[in-house]
Amino acid sequence: MTSAERTTQQSAILIVDDEPIVQQSLAEWFRSDGYEVDSAGSAKEALRKVAEGRYDIALVDIKMPGMDGLELQSRLAEVEPDLTVIMITAYASVDSAVQALKAGAFDYVTKPFDPDELSHLVRRAIEHRSLRFENIRLKESLDAIAGAPTIIGDSPGMRHVLDLVEAVSETDATVLIRGDSGTGKELVARAIHAKSGRRYNPMVVVNCGALAEGILESELFGHEKGAFTGAQYRHKGKFEMADGGTIFLDEIGAVSQRVQVELLRVLEDKVVTRVGGQTPISVDFRVIAATNQDLEAMVEAGDFREDLFWRLNVFTVEIPPLRERPEDIIALAHHFLEQYCHAMNRPHSNITPEALEVLGSYSWPGNVRELENAIERAIVVGKECVVRSEDLPVRVHGSTEPVVNGSSLAEVERAHILSVLNAMEWNISKSAEALGVDRGTLYNKIKRYGLQRPPDGAG
Amino acid sequence: MELVSEPSSVEAVHLLTVGPFPRRMAEDLIIGLSREVRVPCRLLEETTEIETQILPDRAQVHADHLLRQLEALPIERGIKLVGVTLHDMAIPIFTFVFGRSRLGGPATVVSLARLRPEFYGLPADPAVTMRRGVAEILHEIGHNLELKHCRNYSCLMFFSHDVETVDLRGMSFCASCAPLLPAGFLAPGRNRY
Ligand SMILES: [Zn+2]
Ligand SMILES: [Zn+2]
Repeated sequence: MTSAERTTQQSAILIVDDEPIVQQSLAEWFRSDGYEVDSAGSAKEALRKVAEGRYDIALVDIKMPGMDGLELQSRLAEVEPDLTVIMITAYASVDSAVQALKAGAFDYVTKPFDPDELSHLVRRAIEHRSLRFENIRLKESLDAIAGAPTIIGDSPGMRHVLDLVEAVSETDATVLIRGDSGTGKELVARAIHAKSGRRYNPMVVVNCGALAEGILESELFGHEKGAFTGAQYRHKGKFEMADGGTIFLDEIGAVSQRVQVELLRVLEDKVVTRVGGQTPISVDFRVIAATNQDLEAMVEAGDFREDLFWRLNVFTVEIPPLRERPEDIIALAHHFLEQYCHAMNRPHSNITPEALEVLGSYSWPGNVRELENAIERAIVVGKECVVRSEDLPVRVHGSTEPVVNGSSLAEVERAHILSVLNAMEWNISKSAEALGVDRGTLYNKIKRYGLQRPPDGAG
Repeated sequence: MELVSEPSSVEAVHLLTVGPFPRRMAEDLIIGLSREVRVPCRLLEETTEIETQILPDRAQVHADHLLRQLEALPIERGIKLVGVTLHDMAIPIFTFVFGRSRLGGPATVVSLARLRPEFYGLPADPAVTMRRGVAEILHEIGHNLELKHCRNYSCLMFFSHDVETVDLRGMSFCASCAPLLPAGFLAPGRNRY
């Protein structure tokens, strides 16, 4: 960004305070947040500066020697009626701040400032002024950084996914993404968000499966100071953080019955109340949920609320597992190769035909994530930036032979669990997620089948 | 500070704990940092007594005073010194700060006090505290390496005044900020699924 561009998109703030330390600290702080800042040490100087320059917001200390903040406020209103005035007050003199509000000040802040409060106040003041020009410029500059992530895959299955992403991103519809662990559900969610009208606002990710019930509630809806023992400070919820943007609820099937009720209410009303709070906060968000579970079966079994299911199941994107689209394996492998070589500052490189053969005939139970791990590992252990078949993890070689040949169901299960565990580097949570069972079940099966983690280096 | 040329070079990150600080936590920070940056990260022995100043009536450590103490230490060129503390920090005009640093400066200071879920009444989660701590340290080092705040909410250089935004930011510099860092500073990033 050149300095000329910056100037046109910045809001200008004038700080009026007789204490140089307040002037300096505030000026530095606002400047680092991208504002144009000027300061004045007295009311007189402030009047002169406002008459000469263009300011959007003036932060005025109520208590100043000579002409005080209240008088300055009324004089400023004559000189520059469009100027938004925010009063600075010590907490002891809130009375005069109220007087200032009556006289047309936008709001007031008390010293010392809560950085979060001050930042919100100023942003609110700017939005209030609806500086459309600034917003347009800001959005243009954000366009460059809000780009959609690249989704690699030219198989019919992935092309269908991309078509769906394209179609649904133009709407504000709720999306349910389904697919096995490691297929890239978050990446698809990010692509939808980045192509949508909400792309200038955040996409907030909540992994519902990773949090205990009580914490999930606080995470989703936030809590007020003093909401429960130990809550000495308020905590904003993910829905609040997603205002204007998208909330991505991953592993939606893991949400408890009680939180399902709350969730349904928030999705319907678009209003959240922090735990222990009184004030409903209205939020504007789009929901993208994801699961690798059979939600229909969960509804049937009474584990997932049917009304919530229908709320979420408006538009479904199903990501096929990697084994169903072998033509994508090679493209993805090259993509990761290029990415990691670039990141590791290695020269441009290739994959040997034998390695391609091995990659193409493996079943990839851990999907794209497993493939990425394999390529990264091959680059790390390999001599040059060439991926050779011997650089690939042992398990990738192993599965070129059919695993299930004439085996009993138990043997098939054992082999499958082992291959998933290996694919996930024995991460129990991820493996359980990929297998669609809980961690306890997986531990039991590991015990029953006497499965053991291979020594380091074996993959 | 008279830092004349090549302000954006960094050969190593040195971590110094200030005040009571569990050894284990400091080591976890080093491990976390080492995952994100490619230059060596080292934990300094607490041989130097760092003076802290308490802000009147606030039971908080004066962050800028602490930063000045760190900057006054003999810091070799190419070293970025990171002071970490469990003390809650603030400066006179703000009720709290997560960290402080100066553009192009040799040192930064970061407090983990308000990065801990416990502070908000949530169950302790050392992994979350570590992730936020590493993110804040990288943000402040970013300033030391001349980076300014970024408009991209998912970038480490986004200005955050609350822990929720720290989480939202994630752990990487955006495509506009990353190239401004010295070559070879960052470790290769991973994709998310
Ligand atoms: Zn900063
Ligand atoms: Zn950035």
